[in-house]
Amino acid sequence: MRALDETETRTMFTKLASYTGASLSNLIAPPAEGTAVTERMVFRLVKDRVFYLPERIANFATSIPRDSLLTAGTMIGKFTKTGKFRLNMSSLSIIAPHARVKCWVKSNGEMPILYGSNVLKAHVARWSEDAPEHSGCVIFNQNDTPLGFGVTARSTAEMRKLEPTAVVVFAQADVGMYLRDEDTMFTT
Amino acid sequence: MAPTKGSSKGGPSKGASDGGSKGSKTSTVSGGSRVSKSKSNVKRPPPKEMKKKARTEQANLQKKKKRVYTDAELDLPKLNAITPVGVVKPKGKKKGKVFVDDQEGMMTILAMVNAEKEGQIESKMMKARQLEEIREAKRKEAEARLTEKKDKLEAVKADIRQKKREKSGKGNSDDRKSAPSSGKSSAKGKRKSVSFA
Repeated sequence: MRALDETETRTMFTKLASYTGASLSNLIAPPAEGTAVTERMVFRLVKDRVFYLPERIANFATSIPRDSLLTAGTMIGKFTKTGKFRLNMSSLSIIAPHARVKCWVKSNGEMPILYGSNVLKAHVARWSEDAPEHSGCVIFNQNDTPLGFGVTARSTAEMRKLEPTAVVVFAQADVGMYLRDEDTMFTT
Repeated sequence: MAPTKGSSKGGPSKGASDGGSKGSKTSTVSGGSRVSKSKSNVKRPPPKEMKKKARTEQANLQKKKKRVYTDAELDLPKLNAITPVGVVKPKGKKKGKVFVDDQEGMMTILAMVNAEKEGQIESKMMKARQLEEIREAKRKEAEARLTEKKDKLEAVKADIRQKKREKSGKGNSDDRKSAPSSGKSSAKGKRKSVSFA
């Protein structure tokens, strides 16, 4: 377990920033009294996986052998062998509060999303204004519960003219993955 | 070994030259004793030998200077080795990773990334807006062309209808006109008409 180097940090933040707005800085904000942040949060790399956890726990985790350490804190994603960064499903709880582009789906569209299919225009109840195409988007249900994230297929202006069966968000991860990919999700 | 011994013993002139080339004092002394025998012949070789020594020394010095430069220092590309562009690391840089674990460093990186992303999104939006404007303009133009075409068609239709009406109107009027004027002819016609009982 080690801290990220400069290029790794940059790659990871670039990926996170495509889903979130400027409020992402709250993730690494220093602890201050009267705020929700009570202890310093850090990013740690184990093999190729990045975890987001309090510094206190990160320091404890150093006492566990690398082979025995399964997980610590929240897994954000992993670095590919080509040096790119892939967000994991478990990062949803971190990016959802800071999402830049949001998409709310109707109740009839929840199940298709949870089974891993893309979001159709007919399922969309609300949509962020001024959303460009091919930008990160977090999918919520009508009770504001995050269901997953993906990439917008069309901009807001273009989406209005589409037919109801057209895809508007390409799904990347959804909470259904916790069941579908249960066996492989956290294997190293 | 045997022929060398014989040559050294047999040829005094050769022996003198060999001793001189070796540069040993003992040999020169022995050569000197021999030189005293025939001065006129042996006087020439010593300066020649000195010259040879000087040349060799200079040459040696030059060679040593050349040997100072090695392949690594000349930055020559290694043969049969492909070095990808990304892999080549700059010289004189410290090995190992530089970790970013301090708050400020992370904040700076995040600020830079955010600014970059904002710029990208802004440019994307601008581009989308421009494209949308162009599309809107094209759509309006196409609509205008369509309405123009329809109007033209309507006008032609109206014209044709007008002509038809006029024709039919003229035909009626002709009939009306012709009916009273051609009273005789109608009478004639009546005469000609055949009626069945």
